Amino acid sequence: MTRAERRWDGLLFVAPFLLLYLLILIYPLLRGVWLSLHSVDLFGDGRFVGLANYARLAADPVFGQSLVNTFLITLMIVPVLTVIALALALALNRATRSAAILRGVFFSSAVLSVTIVTLIWRFVLAPDAGLLGELWTAFGWEPLPFLSAPNLVLPALAITTIWWSLGFPMLLFLAGLQQIPQDMYEAAALDRASKWTTFRRVTLPSLRRTTILVIMLQTAAQLQIFGQSQLLTAGGPSGASRTAVLFLFETAFGRWELGYASAAAEILFLIILAVTLTQYWLTGRAREGEDGR
Amino acid sequence: MAASVARDRLPPLVWAAVLIGAAIMVAPLIWTLLLSLKSNTELVGNSGAALQPPYTLGNYVAIFGSSSTTRWLLNSAVVSLGTTAGVLILASLAGYGFARLDFPFRRSLFVLVLLGLAIPSQAVILHQHQLFADLGLHNSYPGLILPGLIGPFGVFFMTQYMRAIPKELDEAAMLDGASRFTIFWRVILPLTVPAQSTLAVFTFLGSWNDYWWPLISATRSDMYTLTVGLAASQMNYAQTSGLGFLMAQAVFASIPIFMVYIIFQKQIVRAMAGAALK
Amino acid sequence: MPGLELRNIRKAFKGTEVLAGVELAVAPREFIAFLGPSGSGKSTLLRIVAGLETADEGEVVLDDRRIDTLPPGDRGVAMVFQHYALYPHMTVRENMAFGLKNARVPRGEIDALVSDAAKVLEIEELLDRKPGQMSGGQRQRVAIGRAIVKKPRLFLLDEPLSNLDAALRLRTRVELAQLRQRVDAGVIMVTHDQAEAMTLADRIVVFNDRRIQQVAPPMEIYSRPANSFVARFVGSPAMTILPARLDGGGDFARVVLGNDARVDTRVPRNGLPQGETVEIGMRPESVRVCGLGEGTTDAEVQLVERLGERSLVYARLRDGAAITAEDEGTTSAKVGDQVGLRIDGAAAHLFGPDGTGYHRQAA
Repeated sequence: MTRAERRWDGLLFVAPFLLLYLLILIYPLLRGVWLSLHSVDLFGDGRFVGLANYARLAADPVFGQSLVNTFLITLMIVPVLTVIALALALALNRATRSAAILRGVFFSSAVLSVTIVTLIWRFVLAPDAGLLGELWTAFGWEPLPFLSAPNLVLPALAITTIWWSLGFPMLLFLAGLQQIPQDMYEAAALDRASKWTTFRRVTLPSLRRTTILVIMLQTAAQLQIFGQSQLLTAGGPSGASRTAVLFLFETAFGRWELGYASAAAEILFLIILAVTLTQYWLTGRAREGEDGR
Repeated sequence: MAASVARDRLPPLVWAAVLIGAAIMVAPLIWTLLLSLKSNTELVGNSGAALQPPYTLGNYVAIFGSSSTTRWLLNSAVVSLGTTAGVLILASLAGYGFARLDFPFRRSLFVLVLLGLAIPSQAVILHQHQLFADLGLHNSYPGLILPGLIGPFGVFFMTQYMRAIPKELDEAAMLDGASRFTIFWRVILPLTVPAQSTLAVFTFLGSWNDYWWPLISATRSDMYTLTVGLAASQMNYAQTSGLGFLMAQAVFASIPIFMVYIIFQKQIVRAMAGAALK
Repeated sequence: MPGLELRNIRKAFKGTEVLAGVELAVAPREFIAFLGPSGSGKSTLLRIVAGLETADEGEVVLDDRRIDTLPPGDRGVAMVFQHYALYPHMTVRENMAFGLKNARVPRGEIDALVSDAAKVLEIEELLDRKPGQMSGGQRQRVAIGRAIVKKPRLFLLDEPLSNLDAALRLRTRVELAQLRQRVDAGVIMVTHDQAEAMTLADRIVVFNDRRIQQVAPPMEIYSRPANSFVARFVGSPAMTILPARLDGGGDFARVVLGNDARVDTRVPRNGLPQGETVEIGMRPESVRVCGLGEGTTDAEVQLVERLGERSLVYARLRDGAAITAEDEGTTSAKVGDQVGLRIDGAAAHLFGPDGTGYHRQAA
């Protein structure tokens, strides 16, 4: 073994991953930026159009609505999901058997795929064949058309998503709770702190980093919401539940306007990147705050 | 540090709320299960029939009679297992390189990989689709597996784990005359089994449930994974064999993933603890 | 020439030199201890011999074969690591066999070598256990066993006892001493514990500041330190070294301390450097407490350490210089007392302005 080999042979270990990574992730990423500056469809190889795709996006009401829908549904999901997950974690952070079983119950939906979730919820939400429809009829009410009324469709998708996504945030909060040192609670008890004070002054501040993590991960995930809207409503009725990624999908694989779809993808990429960077920045600050304590 | 677990009793009101929540979680699942146990004809125009007997396993029998569902199951298994194996191999090799060897540009390459954590899949998926079209890989197992192998998380995770293993072990093995690869294979890799199993569970779950990529890559129904196959079934369920059969497919498709979840619960919980620590 | 030879070894880490041209020859079957403060370069030199670091310059030759160009496994050396570095997932047997397997030794031979070594080290009943199920002392023996089975020509021990508690350390020290009688190989042990070096080594190599300060048998290191660093570093409590002035005398040097006390040494006057500024070094056992005014000088007691069979008296001369003296175990000296000190000039050492040591002629 000569010294030169010794220096370079480390590359052999990372090369298989790196080559695939460059080919399948970095190259498409750069190509996407390049394509977004071109007019490309199924027939032409494309000509350079500068920022024209972006200008068209800015003026496209369909894209605008899909962005609004995406933001709205994210806003409906993330706060509710975070609060429920935290509440469940607090209630179920116990060493009893029933708590363990209930943790399993609340996590169980998280392992399902989006197609199974939509399949299940289609027949919960459908007015004619759904569980809720049956329930409503049993009470003598008219079943609500969750998936076909423009003002009900986004909340319906949000409820489906919350039901599906509860598990991981709950586990994150549970893990966060278990890392709070027991002696902090003992100290609070010695200081005769009430339950509420203990929760506000000990538990919540200790969960700050976990909370930021949950909110940001969920925000980034829900901004990319796709399957629920594609499968349950196909974006309907008349675009009321079309999300940004569904717009992208339709533009690219329905109309084959690849340049235009690329531009939409870059916009979404920038939005999600901003969320991710905010997360890094906030957790960095939270960590500094804790070190300073 | 003692793990903090609440020891007081849950107030009855909270307890009731949790139980109602649990009922809401479970009700759709039970509803699905009941529907799957009804004959299709009985459900036509009257899904409420699901609440009363008679129940039958006829839909499940029909699944095994239908070549497409079992074919999708096979596809899902091949793709998920292939992806999991590929991720473990690539991430272990790269993690070993980044964590324990010194070579030119090591830091910059690692940063390049970390940057990938911030790239959402939808930013690249259109162009991955084009790339795979150019390579003629759509509707093939490699085409379904390869995009699953490039997640930077596995590399990051293995690198972190391998960094924590004492350097003295590599040195002892060098003095024992072991080659680089022997050190990796016989000394370091066996010590990463806990990390491997955690990474395997998450990769498998993610791959099994992946929808976006197989949706656009597998366009021939014999190359569908279960996820995509079920999507196709529900989109045109009006023309197909009926509600009971559809739900039986859903239950059937979730059995493997529930089994994985039950067997590997520990790994999932441990990985969450790691994420909360980060 | 058989044995180990280090020729002009230089090493720098990121521009900071840690070894500045080290030369050393180790005889076959010799037990050498590398002694020095941390950061003195002793561990780096050991790792260069092992092949875990590459020297920037110089050669490592073992039994007339240049080995610094070979990978660690081909050098004919074995190493016992500070934290043992046993492979946690392998049994003791597999740990010991690993190197032999890599060297493609036939299976039968491996089994024989492992069971021989296990017998010598009395770890036969541990062979099927894993490191996690053993005590520190047992792991230590396995680590030694893993080195022995390879029948190396040179053993390298990196602070082998530093992870053991005091009682176990003494026992293992004895075992190491017995072990070296059985193996047909040289040993180099890195340590910062001088008692370990003194009791085990044939010769001690004292390191400081990127260089070898002295290479000599333990008693010579103690009684004839090459310079004031070695004098201070070896011996506990440390030698008292005070500034002094040469003041005539016959064949042997006479010096005057800062407080005008005179000491007649047995250091030959010729050979001493020019000028009259020197330092005088005195081990505690050559400075005895006596009645006020009866000794070489008077001093005020600062601290008394009763060790049982003797007492150490830390005192201050009139000019403020600190000096360590010895007294009976039953000493009556108390803090604040004025006492006399009798300095045994025959046992005193002198150090020149550059630190070089001068001693009485060897008997």
